[in-house]
Amino acid sequence: MEEGGVNVIDLTQGDESFVKELIALGADELRECIQCGKCGATCPMALAGLEFFIKRIVHAANLGLRDILLEDSSVWGCQSCNRCVEICPMDIKPYEVIQAVRRAAVKVEACPANTYEGLRNLYRFGHAVFPKGFEERRKKVGLPEKPPTALSFDEFRKKYQELLRQTILEEIAPFPLD
Amino acid sequence: MQKIGIFLGCNIPFNRPDIEYSMRFLLKELGVEIVELEGATCCPAYGTMPSLGLLEWAVASAWNLSIAEEKGVDMLTGCGSCYGVQNEANYYLKKHPEIKEQVDKILAKVGRKYDGTVKVWNVINFIYEKIGLDTLKQKIKYNLNGLKCAVQTGCHNLWPSKAFPSGEDNTFFPKRLREICEIMGGVAPHYSTITDCCGMGALRSNAPEKSLALFKKKLDVIKEELDPDLAVIGCSSCLLQFDAGQALLIEQKKLNYKIPALHLAQLTAIALGAEVEKATAMASIPLNGVITKIKGGN
Ligand code: SF4
Ligand code: SF4
Repeated sequence: MEEGGVNVIDLTQGDESFVKELIALGADELRECIQCGKCGATCPMALAGLEFFIKRIVHAANLGLRDILLEDSSVWGCQSCNRCVEICPMDIKPYEVIQAVRRAAVKVEACPANTYEGLRNLYRFGHAVFPKGFEERRKKVGLPEKPPTALSFDEFRKKYQELLRQTILEEIAPFPLD
Repeated sequence: MQKIGIFLGCNIPFNRPDIEYSMRFLLKELGVEIVELEGATCCPAYGTMPSLGLLEWAVASAWNLSIAEEKGVDMLTGCGSCYGVQNEANYYLKKHPEIKEQVDKILAKVGRKYDGTVKVWNVINFIYEKIGLDTLKQKIKYNLNGLKCAVQTGCHNLWPSKAFPSGEDNTFFPKRLREICEIMGGVAPHYSTITDCCGMGALRSNAPEKSLALFKKKLDVIKEELDPDLAVIGCSSCLLQFDAGQALLIEQKKLNYKIPALHLAQLTAIALGAEVEKATAMASIPLNGVITKIKGGN
């Protein structure tokens, strides 16, 4: 996002089909938002100074501002903390709006590169976070080099990969699922 | 004997196995049988499958939940994300039969099934409800000797409360972690930013400077209002921010004081007599003063 780039909202850009897409992707109560601002008042993204925080995202989603939402990376800075879900008086589940935007973004590859890194690690090792040097760290505390997760069991890992291939990952992964 | 499936996730076994050591130690000392969840995976982290679709989220979590269910146990995790992600998946599976149906089909294809019986616990709620404060008090070998604790429960351990099997009376005024520290002999006052986010997670990955600045705001309030001996953390991701993140702020000359930090599992394990070198092996901020105080010094 360019600094200040979302300050002016051009309503003619609104695309009703995008609103419908977001609703189908999990933002099912989106239309009930009354723009009370409670979600924004509690959102760490707002407190951290991300310009496009949750209240504005829900607003833009309701207006169907596809380009603004997909070009801006704010949704990827959401902490998934669910304060907004807890506090919203209309039960919009604003966090689900964030996830719906992410889901729409992923389909057109409009997501940060580290999203793919997490998915690739998840597919290959069964762990999205897979830092180097863990064997040494584990040995230091007297634990086996590998934890007893799918990482240690090929049979489980292959089955888990098979499970992942039954999902949309099969269509969107920019890396081979073999 | 009480049994529990130990759900490791990623950050604990790979970045902070000192927490894994501590969880295993405290369960053993508290007489809880540890059941290994062989073949379990990432929860999956919010930025992965949950960001692709609700079905994607539910089915990937159901994989883990089905492993625990097959063994007839609930799960215990030390990571807030693992707690939030899997509890939410459980919640969605109950609320959305159409998703559950699709999940069942996919699970069947890989030879698994999930009936929805598993509860996911975090260390705070597990100690609070499944062990009990009185039992913990009886079992500890080292009293915290008035150690002043600033507690950080962690967002994912609090919200969305309706998806969780157990929790605080008022999630915006959490007390359980404070009570646990106090029953072990510590002092754990409330402070004004007690529920503020530490900034770890997606914010740290995607906007690191803003994340660390947010964290510093919280630390400054903790320092000013409590000036604690220790930060006691309920989530492994928060711990990464409080420990390695704090060390980074010091290295960048943005912070001129230090607050040592331990995960609740580490602190409890130490109070139960764990090997300190192992229970704190990956700590960046030195803990010498804290350990001396716990082990009976001043
Ligand atoms: S709290 Fe709910 S109703 Fe209020 S602005 Fe946010 S999403 Fe809309
Ligand atoms: S879940 Fe995301 S959008 Fe909602 S309050 Fe937390 S950071 Fe903000």
